[in-house]
Amino acid sequence: MLCPVHHNWLRVAGAVSLVLEIREVAVIVTSGISADSKELECTSMSCLHRVLASIVFCLSACGVAAAQQPQLDQLRLIAPAAPGGGWDQTARVMQQVLQRTGIVRTAPVENIPGAAGTIGLARFVGSEQGRDDAILVSGLIMLGGIVMHRSPVTLHEVTPIARLTGEYEAIVVPANSPFRTLADMIRALKERPEALSWGGGSAGGSDQILAGLVAGAVGVPPGRINYVAFSGGGESLSAILGGQVTLGINGLAELEPQIQAGTVRALAVSSAERLPGLDVPTLREQGVNLEFENWRSVVAPPGIGARERQRLESVIAAMVVTPEWREALARYRWIDRYLTGERFSQFVDGEETRVRTTLQRLDTGQGSGGTLASVGAYPTFVLTGLVICAIAALVVGRGASGVATALRPRIKISGTVWWIGLALVVNLAMAETVGFVTASTAMFWLTARAFDDRHPIRDVVFAVVMAVGAYLLFGRLLQLPLPAGPLEGWLHADARLCWGAQATIWLTRPPALRRASVAEITHTSELAG
Amino acid sequence: MLETLRALSAGFASAFALHHLGWALVGTTLGTAIGVLPGIGPALTVAVLLPVTFNLDPISAFIMFGGIYSGAMYGGSTTSILLNTPGETGSIATAIDGYMMARQGRGAAALTTAAVGSFVAGTLATIALTFFAPALARAALRFGPAEYFALTVVAFTTVSLLLGPSRVKGLFSLFLGLSVGLVGIDQLTGDARFSFGIPQLLDGIDVVILVIGLFAVGETMFQAWQFGRSEPEAVVLHDFTGMSRDEWRRSWGSWLRGAAIGFPLGVLPCGGTVIPTFVSYAIEKRLSKEPERFGHGAIEGVAGPEAANNAAAAGVLVPLLTLGLPSSATAAVMLAAFQQYGLQPGPLLFTSRPDLVWTLIASLYIGNVMLLVLNLPLVGVWARVMLMPRRLLFAGVLVLASLGAYSLNGSLLDLAILYLVGVVGCAMRIYDVPLVPAVLGLVLGPLSELQFRRAMAISEGDVSIFVTRPISAVLLLTAAMLLFGSRLITKKLA
Repeated sequence: MLCPVHHNWLRVAGAVSLVLEIREVAVIVTSGISADSKELECTSMSCLHRVLASIVFCLSACGVAAAQQPQLDQLRLIAPAAPGGGWDQTARVMQQVLQRTGIVRTAPVENIPGAAGTIGLARFVGSEQGRDDAILVSGLIMLGGIVMHRSPVTLHEVTPIARLTGEYEAIVVPANSPFRTLADMIRALKERPEALSWGGGSAGGSDQILAGLVAGAVGVPPGRINYVAFSGGGESLSAILGGQVTLGINGLAELEPQIQAGTVRALAVSSAERLPGLDVPTLREQGVNLEFENWRSVVAPPGIGARERQRLESVIAAMVVTPEWREALARYRWIDRYLTGERFSQFVDGEETRVRTTLQRLDTGQGSGGTLASVGAYPTFVLTGLVICAIAALVVGRGASGVATALRPRIKISGTVWWIGLALVVNLAMAETVGFVTASTAMFWLTARAFDDRHPIRDVVFAVVMAVGAYLLFGRLLQLPLPAGPLEGWLHADARLCWGAQATIWLTRPPALRRASVAEITHTSELAG
Repeated sequence: MLETLRALSAGFASAFALHHLGWALVGTTLGTAIGVLPGIGPALTVAVLLPVTFNLDPISAFIMFGGIYSGAMYGGSTTSILLNTPGETGSIATAIDGYMMARQGRGAAALTTAAVGSFVAGTLATIALTFFAPALARAALRFGPAEYFALTVVAFTTVSLLLGPSRVKGLFSLFLGLSVGLVGIDQLTGDARFSFGIPQLLDGIDVVILVIGLFAVGETMFQAWQFGRSEPEAVVLHDFTGMSRDEWRRSWGSWLRGAAIGFPLGVLPCGGTVIPTFVSYAIEKRLSKEPERFGHGAIEGVAGPEAANNAAAAGVLVPLLTLGLPSSATAAVMLAAFQQYGLQPGPLLFTSRPDLVWTLIASLYIGNVMLLVLNLPLVGVWARVMLMPRRLLFAGVLVLASLGAYSLNGSLLDLAILYLVGVVGCAMRIYDVPLVPAVLGLVLGPLSELQFRRAMAISEGDVSIFVTRPISAVLLLTAAMLLFGSRLITKKLA
């Protein structure tokens, strides 16, 4: 929205900065890297990259960022979940912190939701191989997903970068529950485990893992836990508040406002010690010997070199020390769990074993709802119904010969249909190879041709206008993920369009803040270097 | 009551600031644009805009988000009516009669009833939100899995009205939708079902893809199939001015009923706006003196569902603002936005940040007025889309449909599924199998299975839970009456 206004201005600024940068690059090249690199605050490690980055950057013609000296030009943050969840929040907070502090110039977030993050993981490993400009948000729940869905791709295949945050969980009961303490609950649980329904997040997620761990720790077979999976915090929370389930088990961040308001009673938190400002005893205090947190981490694609890995690690290292990141941690009630290198890898291995054994003991295939509620009952019903209806639709009102004529294809496919079919196939084949604009132009033209072949030239114009217009509106302005090709690259060279927006935002900040952020950047890049 | 009014007027005072009005305008315009595009919902848009709005003050940001939200609900109806391409799941019901109206040259009337209906219902729902939010939210908590299951049963009875001339073909369509709904992870146990080892299928087939495939792509193919076989029907626009006096008279009752159905069902965290819109459609058909007009361009069939989806959208904000419960994807993103500004949404939000809550509510009123003012003058312009050469119209539909489907997950597989569904949809049209039952099957099937099994897990396998809980029992009784009562009535008439 804001970009077109500043478009021309940025073009001018870009041209000026291009001249300046070329001069600087020339200085480095002519006088040798050793002498001038200090002046440019270039470490020997990333000097070449800096030079390359600054060339890329001049071409991008974004005048403002000249003052910011980013470590990376672009870092794509991939959240393997839908907008709104924990991974998405982590990615979006990282985006803000990285961009605002200027550690990375642009950090677009992509959502690839599904199956506890394993779909995102599979795509990440498949399509980002060897690329050093993307990181994937991951964590404990992904380990659970890998076990549950027998994912062929695991966390061993990606390059570990760092663990970032942790979130404690809490066990709560509705305000009018007879359970006053954890001991009351455990007593009832030991008596007849199935009588207690536990409401929490998706199957195999952190909530169910904790439920299994608690059961195991108090000597109840985890397989007898009556766990009712809800999709997402909102749904399980309303079941808890409405007293639909006996117990609720969920992330502390989601439960805390309810605990404070007194709408639910917290029996225990999963932290090692009592948390400040929250008068709830820990599990350990009450004789259940375990600690638990839902941690989140970032990983890089497989097959990247040691240098690339180190650069990504230094970006994260620079991020976690910024005041912006600290502030975000406090805001979202995340615990700082920054851990990198070999110790992070070891930690993941340990967690993987713990998750795998817990989930196996939970034996999640068994529900406690009887045969009617088993996994297979409903599909059998539906598929039988489908077959019966299909047969009935054929037979009703016809004899045997009638069925035969009904099955004989009435279909004589006309030329028009073939052209449409061709349009769809062409789009499917071209979309990810030559990009959205070209593929859509072809599809548009072929479809128009199918209905009317008298205006081929005029239709080309319509097709190009439609495709480019749609790309600019949805791909650039709304930043939807559209397949990119060379033509999009060319339209993208016009990155002023989106960077212009960021520059404008930066410029509209109060000058004091702006100065402060420049100071922080210098500070953090020293730390990172 | 008096206190509420005082707080609300303070909210209005703040929302009427010039820059707040500006953000409301930006939000509603953006929201309408997004609603028009199939597949792109308000949730994704708000998520994308989050970082951009970080430098705004929270009040401006939320005013804009509120505008996006109601704008998207409204925008979906335009493509539904004119192109038979529902932009959101909430406007599928609108497409049934709206598209027929457009083809009969009454597109402007359909768009007007959608716009005014959205305004009326949106405003009524916001009034209800203003005065009864806390009480409503508490009542909604009484709904557990058993009640939700009963509610889906009620929604399923509406299928019986949409079966079309051949009951068997209608049921076949329903079971087709139910079967598609089987694909993906079983949410209660985490087991994969019918995903054939393809990871992308683990999450099931998105309703949006099925809808765009069956309606938009299927329609284009069907037109191609008919091309040269039968004379294309000429579209003559009767007028660009909107509704006749008779259409106004027939619409207003539908608007009010739509609002009355949509709002409470929106408050219940369940299944988004699909259930309210179809329940409203079914009730309009049931109450109509000429039910045979439905499916052939009955204006009540547009007015009711459009009112219902906007009222439901306002209803979704009730649990979010009063209890901090996000009951839809958009609400979840707005919750994240609250947190971004360091606010803890929850039972205490009304007391801790009344200024923000009341400005947001006031801006919903303003957004509704803005939508009406923005869209009514454009009705005639949009309706002229029907006069575009068909080759360009269908080519444009295919490009937009593909764009929407691809951008859902950025996956080529979705595009392939979209085209496959399009072929199936075309075949269904050729063999006179109705499309809508399939969509309802896909939406309601997984929901009702899930709630049924949750209820059974909680009751430890005791089926009587559905009749011993009062709300559930009443709902099941209603469903039975809708099903068998209608048969009795038709028998009497026959």
